[in-house]
Amino acid sequence: MTENVSAASAVKAPAAKFGGGKLTVAIAVCAVLVAAGVALWMAQLAGGMVQTGMRNLDSWGLYITCFMFFVGLSAGGLIISSVPKAFGLPGFGGISKVAVMTSIACTVAAIGFVVVDLGQPLRLWELFAYSNLGSPLMWDILVLGTYLILSCVYLWAQLRAERGVMSHVALRVISVVALVVAVLVHSVTAWIFGLQQGREMWHTALLGPWFVSSALVCGTALVLVACVALRRAGYLGFARENEVKLAKLLGAFVCVDLYFFGCDLLTEAFPQGSGMEVVQMLVSGQLAPFFWVEVVGCAVCAAICFAPKLRTTPLLVVASLLAIVGIFCKRVQLLVGGFQVANIDMAGVVTPMTVTNWEAGLAGAYEGMVYWPQPIEFGVALGVVALAALIFLLGLKFLPLKPVESEK
Amino acid sequence: MSRYGFAIDKKLCIGCHTCAVACKGENGLPNNVWWNRTLTNGGDEMDTPAGEYPNTTISYVPVACQHCENPACVKVCPVGATYKDEGTGAVRQDYDKCIGCRMCMAACPYTGVRSFNWEEPAYYYDVTLGDPDVPKHQKHTVEKCTMCWHRIARGEQPACIGVCPVRARFWGDLDDPDSEVSQLIRERSCEQLLPEEGTKPSVYYLV
Repeated sequence: MTENVSAASAVKAPAAKFGGGKLTVAIAVCAVLVAAGVALWMAQLAGGMVQTGMRNLDSWGLYITCFMFFVGLSAGGLIISSVPKAFGLPGFGGISKVAVMTSIACTVAAIGFVVVDLGQPLRLWELFAYSNLGSPLMWDILVLGTYLILSCVYLWAQLRAERGVMSHVALRVISVVALVVAVLVHSVTAWIFGLQQGREMWHTALLGPWFVSSALVCGTALVLVACVALRRAGYLGFARENEVKLAKLLGAFVCVDLYFFGCDLLTEAFPQGSGMEVVQMLVSGQLAPFFWVEVVGCAVCAAICFAPKLRTTPLLVVASLLAIVGIFCKRVQLLVGGFQVANIDMAGVVTPMTVTNWEAGLAGAYEGMVYWPQPIEFGVALGVVALAALIFLLGLKFLPLKPVESEK
Repeated sequence: MSRYGFAIDKKLCIGCHTCAVACKGENGLPNNVWWNRTLTNGGDEMDTPAGEYPNTTISYVPVACQHCENPACVKVCPVGATYKDEGTGAVRQDYDKCIGCRMCMAACPYTGVRSFNWEEPAYYYDVTLGDPDVPKHQKHTVEKCTMCWHRIARGEQPACIGVCPVRARFWGDLDDPDSEVSQLIRERSCEQLLPEEGTKPSVYYLV
């Protein structure tokens, strides 16, 4: 750490020494939450996953929802940071390194969410010993691992380039590779769901591009919020023009995402066949609250981003948060929606292991949302989110992420 | 090389659940776990008909793993814990390998045929039920119908076949044109569950 500090101060950046007491307290709080999360995870493994809300007919839940969400969040940082460098465009000011740091933190959280969802985490090594390279889940593990390593390398390369010990050509090459892997990581995550012919809501070729667009929405929003917060904290100078540039970009991404949603809904609904069930479930059925929060939130976000009068900093923060919440709602719709439409809905023996609300019988279980998380899942999830925050805050405290003069 | 499959006569099935109970006993299934279930094709509740009296309809569909020729679950398992046995056509599950990711449960179009042990397997009786050759059930792993692998390895039929009181269940080699199942499928009209999914199930329902 001292090496970083001295190296950074050599290029006259006022690195490290930031935040002081408050930052340390925040780090401590995150560490406690992580510890609590680990304890709850151990309780989940010891007492059985029967403590979660997941059951045979809704076999994935909050963890996989959050996995999708955090893979998405991790995008923005890396893409915003690498696109300008890859194409030789003027960037968004000195936010590049902070943006990549958000990517690293979110990728760690995404991997964490897969691990806490596993029934047998001690058998993780089998993924590398008995890899079935035909499984989309295996692709995702490989690409996500590459993505994490690449994000770290990319951050390191930027620091080296600032010190003048790495050529800008090399940095540009890394930017291009990082960009390609970033697009891949979202597509592959989409394919975990989109390649499953058995789930009406998931099985669409649009899912890949749509995951990329959703990732851009919430990733950009996260970078915008983080930069505004860090400016307020006096960590970095985030020029107003860059804020507006990011906002316009966010607006454009939100529109693309809503367009994809519209395309998908129309394609599902138009034949008035089995897809109609999916559309009804979203628009007026069990998942309607999540659907409308997403659609209205994203529309409001786009309006704020595009109308010059509304584009004030506080409203932009609101818009970004709406976008992030909206995309989270989309993940919930996708995950629960996949299980909400049962292919075989004939009545039969129902046990406490069959479905979440088993007491009401099969018909009753599907009346509301087929899945709702239990307290232990919220606790474990909070722990994983705290891990991401911890990594980000540690980065702020110990890594020279502040912009150097030349970049401003 | 054989490709074993089932033929189930829906015209004969009376919905008595004997095949389901035989499966549970033979495989020593833990509490609340059923690999084979007799579903009611009728009203919202089990054993209730659809429609208004006197125009009501009811039939029964026993559903377990379809041992597909093109199984969706095998493709997605990241560690190959679920795999197709080439010699018999049975889709098998290796409990020792399963990492509990439940990707196969998401992939399988046949709602509810796979079950996850959400808790340590528990039993109503102190003595162990089930055939001694059945592998031990494990917490946090996915399991399902094995086509009674332990029985067919000994040259016997799956446990659900012989117990059927109305003799509605048949099992045999689909690749052998002279087998009872092949003849039934050829001579009777039959249907498969969710043929549109492209999984080519090895269970045929005679109608």
